[in-house]
Amino acid sequence: MSKELADGVGVARAGHFETVAQQRAAATLGIWAWLITELLLFSALFLVALIVRIQHPEATVAAAKHLKFWIGATNTVVLICSSLTMSMAIEFSRIGWQRAMVRAMLATAALGGLFLVLKGYEYYADWDEHMMPFLGSRPFALAETPPARLFVNLYYVATILHAVHLFTGIALLLGMTWMAAKAGFLSRHQNWIEVYGLYWHFIDLVWILAFPILYVVNR
Amino acid sequence: MSASGSVGGTARREPHAPEATLGRKADYLHADSTLRSWFLTTDHKRIAILYLASITGFFVIGAVAAGVVRLALIVPNGAIMTNDTYNKAFTIHGVVMVWFFLIPSIPATFGNFLIPLMIGAKDLAFPKLNLTSWYVFMAGAFFTLVSLVLGGVDTGWTFYAPLSTAFSNTWVLPALIGVTIVGFSSILTGLNFVVTIHTMRAPGMTWFKLPIFVWAHYATSLIFLLATPVITTALILLIMERGFHIGVFDPAYGGDPVLFQHLFWFYSHPAVYIMVLPGMGVISEIVPAFAQKKLFGYRFVAYASIGLASVTFFVWGHHMFVNGQSDLASLVFSALSFAVAVPSAVKVYNWTATIHKGSLRLDTPMLYAMGYIGLFVLGGLTGLYLATLAINQHIHATYFVVAHFHYIMVGGTVLAFLGGLHFWWPKFTGRMYSEPWGRVSAMLIFIGFNVTFFPQFILGYLGMPRRYATYPVEFQLLNVLSSAGATILAAGYIFPMLYLVYSLWFGRKAPANPWNAKGLEWETGSPPPKHNFLSPPAVPRIPYDYPIQAQEAQDQHG
Amino acid sequence: MRNPLAALSADDRALLRRRLRTPVLTFLELLALLAVNVTLGATLPFAQVWIVELLVVAVMVALILLVSMEVIHEPPLIRLFSGIGFFWVAIMFGMTLTDYLAR
Repeated sequence: MSKELADGVGVARAGHFETVAQQRAAATLGIWAWLITELLLFSALFLVALIVRIQHPEATVAAAKHLKFWIGATNTVVLICSSLTMSMAIEFSRIGWQRAMVRAMLATAALGGLFLVLKGYEYYADWDEHMMPFLGSRPFALAETPPARLFVNLYYVATILHAVHLFTGIALLLGMTWMAAKAGFLSRHQNWIEVYGLYWHFIDLVWILAFPILYVVNR
Repeated sequence: MSASGSVGGTARREPHAPEATLGRKADYLHADSTLRSWFLTTDHKRIAILYLASITGFFVIGAVAAGVVRLALIVPNGAIMTNDTYNKAFTIHGVVMVWFFLIPSIPATFGNFLIPLMIGAKDLAFPKLNLTSWYVFMAGAFFTLVSLVLGGVDTGWTFYAPLSTAFSNTWVLPALIGVTIVGFSSILTGLNFVVTIHTMRAPGMTWFKLPIFVWAHYATSLIFLLATPVITTALILLIMERGFHIGVFDPAYGGDPVLFQHLFWFYSHPAVYIMVLPGMGVISEIVPAFAQKKLFGYRFVAYASIGLASVTFFVWGHHMFVNGQSDLASLVFSALSFAVAVPSAVKVYNWTATIHKGSLRLDTPMLYAMGYIGLFVLGGLTGLYLATLAINQHIHATYFVVAHFHYIMVGGTVLAFLGGLHFWWPKFTGRMYSEPWGRVSAMLIFIGFNVTFFPQFILGYLGMPRRYATYPVEFQLLNVLSSAGATILAAGYIFPMLYLVYSLWFGRKAPANPWNAKGLEWETGSPPPKHNFLSPPAVPRIPYDYPIQAQEAQDQHG
Repeated sequence: MRNPLAALSADDRALLRRRLRTPVLTFLELLALLAVNVTLGATLPFAQVWIVELLVVAVMVALILLVSMEVIHEPPLIRLFSGIGFFWVAIMFGMTLTDYLAR
């Protein structure tokens, strides 16, 4: 991937910046600073999962084996595909192919939506299997190992937190797509696509971490 | 370079600005006076004023809560109020003071106002995000105050499980939600500062020409970004535990309450440096100005700021020596806690060396700064006692700890805040405050503070536990003394609220640089024009280019 | 998307190939690594397989960070910011483990 922009593609300078280069640098640094906070947010949860594993290895393994491994794996494929379409959107924005860019953004949002649909189905399957310990009305399947209950609850906290980020991401993406489809967008706000793309890749990265940590290594 | 020493000429014409009346200029404060222009502003200076007003309000709430605590402790048998009320009083005091006063106090007011000016920029990198951070702040405050109005919280500001998750029947959830929300406000502020300082310095303004105030806020902003998300996770887990009993902090379900403490203190120890570093930045500006002398050891102080922000992340376990964590962890955290004292000491030595043989003027800001140095040293040294494992066994959770952190937070940060407020008041408002009243208040605060908190060191050493509504009767004299000191302190706080507000209408009009201080903020009008500088400011050859330069200044090139 | 592709000029097709080569390659590499981990997770060939799985994850994370997020092309400051979070996570994990592994 090269970063050179086609003619007519660029960024309109905001009043408080001296140059466009300064504005672009600030936006990129800003999104990375935000991503640092997101990394620490999720890592703290992963740390909790690690501590539970260290203190209760058998219960953790028992709980992890009941997670829906194949739905999780499929979802990982879905997100990797969405990362490709997002990278395509970024490249299209650089060469000025606005229609292609919009289609790639919509594809990304659609794949993100597919993830959420599959996740919803997975939660339904969990509920069906009595794997929702926080619902008192449906007794937890592995009730005889209390720490297993904790691990499953952590799985919910982590995946719900990720899903909230993904949902927010899709909403922002759709809003941005609507704006990006308008004439003149790429001459004024091209770097929005790149800045947003970093966020999308990062949410993908979090799932790339979460899937093994929750579903795979504890088997 | 714009005219210095005068009140500034006519501002650059804004299409929608009102006609400047004779003698008045379209500076940021007076240019537009509609409500909309204040509550939808993206001007960093106005946002700083919004923060200033709100944190002052929260300070009053926190101070009243402290008053309730000190009132209760006049008698040893808890006769004045119920234990539950007492618990709620110290909790709301802590929650409000930490998150709604101390953490935002200097960064969100002085940092917001001054950083763009000090680096020669027109605004922060993300002005709309800046305004958003204030609204997020107020949203967090709303939830916390809801908790207070509904009946309060009694878990202490540390929200330890299992009290907060399983046993407390007070309004814990709204308070947790409020604190979680307000964390985002500080993340946004920190993000804005980091990006601004990296990308928007004026041409020629290299890192080693920046005022230490900027270095200190940069370091603080790194802590905002790296520490705050972890407490967000901790609070989310607390909310999940209290709401859904997920078991993460409940041993019966394989959880561990100590794990909450790890997550909580991973943030909250660096948080105390969030509360301390900006104050150090303020002192680093005041001391050279009132000694008319270049800051001694500039690079050491700059590096010490970054050093503090880094090493602070390695010491959180010193809050947990007695909770059953492993001996190895206690050893490591104790040793590193000694290390973290070093950068603070470096700064204190440098300020002292700056004062030495300076041309001193003991105006109000300098009184606060000198009070800061003395009280911060005392507070910091007592931290070393607390870091020592064997001694900690005896003074953990006693009034020794309470005195230690109040010496730093009040004797340090609050004094720095007040010193900075007086130092930059002419810049923010275009008015001079009454200097005699300033000095009287500073003395009152210093005296009141020490009468309140020094006895608490003795009480802690003698074994009086913190967060208890009752105590053995032999401690009563010291407690009454402490409460008496609190009334003096309260008077000291009230005076500035009165004479500063008075000065807004009746104070002498301030020149651009009333203190003959160095720094780009003094090269523009008081108050500054809306876009900070009428013409691009000239960056100094060296920082702190004061008349008196020490011998070592020879090698301090820009 | 057949029709739009066929309508492209030769120059445009070359441009597309050049610009999309890296994202497509990265995509395929990520899928391949995921396949490795899924296979290992499903078959569990030996007890310490989790070490291999985590290493594979580390490679995937590095790929996303360095290639998809273009960190490898960014100036030093961005590279520092992209890495420093992980270093701080290591501090959090490492120091917490001094408690839990030594109890």
